Amino acid sequence: MLAYARIRPFPRRKPALRLNLPMMPQAQELNALLGRVAEMRDQAAFAALFAHFAPRIKAYLLRLGAPPALAEDLAQEALLSLWRKAHLFDPAKASAATWLFTIARNLRIDTIRRERRPELEPADFMPEAELAADDGLALADDEARLRAALKDLPADQIQVVELSFFADKPHSEIAAQLDIPLGTVKSRLRLAMARLKRIMGEAS
Amino acid sequence: MSLHHPAPISHHPGEELLLAYAGGGADEAVSLIVAAHLAYCAACRRRSRELEALGGCLLQELAPVPMASGALDAALLKLDGIKPFERPARQASGDCTPSVLRPYIGGDLRDVRWRQVGPNLSYVPLFRRGAIRARLLRGVPGSETGAHRHAGLEYTLVLKGGFSDETGSYAPGDLQVMEGDMRHSPVADPGEDCINLAVTTGPLKFESLLQKIVAPLFGF
Repeated sequence: MLAYARIRPFPRRKPALRLNLPMMPQAQELNALLGRVAEMRDQAAFAALFAHFAPRIKAYLLRLGAPPALAEDLAQEALLSLWRKAHLFDPAKASAATWLFTIARNLRIDTIRRERRPELEPADFMPEAELAADDGLALADDEARLRAALKDLPADQIQVVELSFFADKPHSEIAAQLDIPLGTVKSRLRLAMARLKRIMGEAS
Repeated sequence: MSLHHPAPISHHPGEELLLAYAGGGADEAVSLIVAAHLAYCAACRRRSRELEALGGCLLQELAPVPMASGALDAALLKLDGIKPFERPARQASGDCTPSVLRPYIGGDLRDVRWRQVGPNLSYVPLFRRGAIRARLLRGVPGSETGAHRHAGLEYTLVLKGGFSDETGSYAPGDLQVMEGDMRHSPVADPGEDCINLAVTTGPLKFESLLQKIVAPLFGF
């Protein structure tokens, strides 16, 4: 595994990731827009968030195999959820993109898989215990760092990380799809996670 | 109500399981047991949040697929009719039951109506989808479940009391994952009843003849 990490036999090409356009709003701006929706019911801020996130959520749902019309409807629904729940968004806990990801993820589980999504309730643990280990990460500042780290991963590691989020299938099936052994899927994932964890550890 | 226990959590879901939960790929029963573990474990809550942040990054990096023309206008027209979401008022648990479990149990652990499967063991079915089942299991102190292997995966989260087997000792909040042909014979710790949440993806394969005959009758 070490030898693998050193040799890096795969080209550092990231086929599935696009280059950032210079116009793309940064995490801080997206958080601020969401804040305006929460506090002022600002429809212009909503429109900007819609323009940014709806096409990405649609892409996410398409990647997971949703038919185009359904992906369109659910992306719309996810943004309406943003309008409905914006006051629950806590920028100290997550970036706007992370929050939207969890909304889209849960919406898909509810409507496409027709399952409940068991979610943790904050009421379950003490506030003082929260402070010790629950705060700090996933802030808007860290998002830029994490995204940079993600782009820096070898292509084959990005692929298994992406499939873990966008394939909705166990790793054994991912292995079959990529035509590689299950152990290779797991070791690539472990390498990717170890690296991302190290970078996030440095951030906090 | 807090679920924090003096004993630190020593058995955690692996990275892969947390990723399946945070990424949304895990099915409902497995998500339930991971979420219930998170209620006890601050370290895994943090890790799960990091993995969700990774999901947020991947969402940001996806090549956008344009929405239909008029999609934004259609959304804007609906905004005025949408009332802000109000979290349903939560009834606090009277006995530290993780709240993620309460809808499945229909209340607190102490309200559960147990079904007896032997002199020492009782259970409650919570959820079933195909071969995947989630159950509550309760063993009296010192009771033995009987040596068994698994046709699939068996996830066990301790909610009360504790148990020990060949792989170690498990206290409230600890999550055990047994795969396929791993064999174990859990014994409930002395003191109080051991109550576990158990998720299985296939039947258990008991070694004793009596259990081989009886277990399928109860769906184990």
